[in-house]
Amino acid sequence: MTTDTVSLDQLVAWLARFRELVSQQQGYLTELDSAIGDADHGSNMTRGMTAVMEKIGVSHDDGTQATLVDELFKSVGMTLVTSVGGASGPLYGTFFLRMGTTAGPVTTLDGAALSAALRAGLGGVVARGKAEAGDKTMFDAMAPALDALDASLATGGDCVTATAAAFSAAKAGRDATEPLVARKGRASYLGERSSGHLDPGATSTALLFEALADTLGQAPA
Amino acid sequence: MIGIVVVSHSPRLAEAAVELALEMVTGVPPAIAIAAGAGDGVIGTDATKVAAAIDKVSTPEGVIVLMDLGSAVLSAAMALEFIETDNPVRLSDAPFVEGIVAAVVLAAAGASLDEISREAHHAMDAKQGQLDLPVPVVASPDDAESAIAGSAIAGSVTAEETLVNPDGLHSRPAASIVKAVSLFDAKVTIADLTTGTGPVAANSLMGLMSLGSRTGDVIRISATGPQAAEAVERLRAMTVDGFGELR
Repeated sequence: MTTDTVSLDQLVAWLARFRELVSQQQGYLTELDSAIGDADHGSNMTRGMTAVMEKIGVSHDDGTQATLVDELFKSVGMTLVTSVGGASGPLYGTFFLRMGTTAGPVTTLDGAALSAALRAGLGGVVARGKAEAGDKTMFDAMAPALDALDASLATGGDCVTATAAAFSAAKAGRDATEPLVARKGRASYLGERSSGHLDPGATSTALLFEALADTLGQAPA
Repeated sequence: MIGIVVVSHSPRLAEAAVELALEMVTGVPPAIAIAAGAGDGVIGTDATKVAAAIDKVSTPEGVIVLMDLGSAVLSAAMALEFIETDNPVRLSDAPFVEGIVAAVVLAAAGASLDEISREAHHAMDAKQGQLDLPVPVVASPDDAESAIAGSAIAGSVTAEETLVNPDGLHSRPAASIVKAVSLFDAKVTIADLTTGTGPVAANSLMGLMSLGSRTGDVIRISATGPQAAEAVERLRAMTVDGFGELR
């Protein structure tokens, strides 16, 4: 096994892949959101992640590109806060800001540090949205993903295996939101009528973990 | 005077709500900052805009933040992580339009952050009262006690007058009562003897509006405290004058 860490470049690649996935599935996310929300999740996330990649994705010769993980995630979080508009702005924004604070001024993350940062991000989402398990929110994809990540790392899994396990759990968590009655967000206004639809936030969160698994699963260059 | 921040998905909604509230202010209005829209014409909210708005109108007396819904609430909560001011900031759970009206009117009358926060929280009371829904008729627990005791306390001053202005105790006269009461060292209550509602604290905009008093109703103004007589006389005179609406 090679040294099992995630580099700054891989984190940027993760965000680029996330942008690609939300952009590809923009129509689908918006369709989900039109069923139980205000039909803007796809366009909001695409706009937000496009702004993020404009901010961080190009190589800056003038040295403005983040060289440390905390700088990178702070920049990502603030860009989402100012460009998304909908509730996913403060939610994903807080997620990345907390990830950055916990990761600290480092250039790589090992499995434990990645897990700690993601956990802090989840804690931020919970603090911001007051969501609990089963509320039909992004929490329902993210919390099981992190549990699976930790379980894999605890049994000797490397980052590739652990993030693949996290993606599987995120998908399962996303799918499990379908029968739920929403208790948070715009969908909660619909009460029982929110049942029978996947939650758009849980769906974009599954894409976040798909992007992470994709990125780390690629053979190192 | 406290500052007011209005957070909305829509700049037009925020501007119109503020305009409506300013209609009801007679003197100097409070500083009001709007944080609405997410830039480039996007309907939404932006926590950094909210933080900038809070910093802009912050005063040592504090800032109250009124929000429409959904991400506006999340963005306002997140803004507290970005603000630079150390002055107190309160996020209000008030309904948007009612809360803005209550906050603007009371801030102009010199009310404290606590008072405004409480009034904004009770901002639905007037509407519930008008629709005959159960409503707490007195906004302030302190004033409720003195209101009940007031009728029995020796030295309390009362006057009864008939409302002569065409629309009764709607928001503008109610606001002028709140403002007038704030000038006196007295606990003042008002009851509608015609409908049997109240008494409510006269420094409570929403309490007064919850009386639903109409033209022709007889109100009883009661006060205790060092300036009770002056306060009652002032309100009596305002009532007789139709709150300046008879012209």
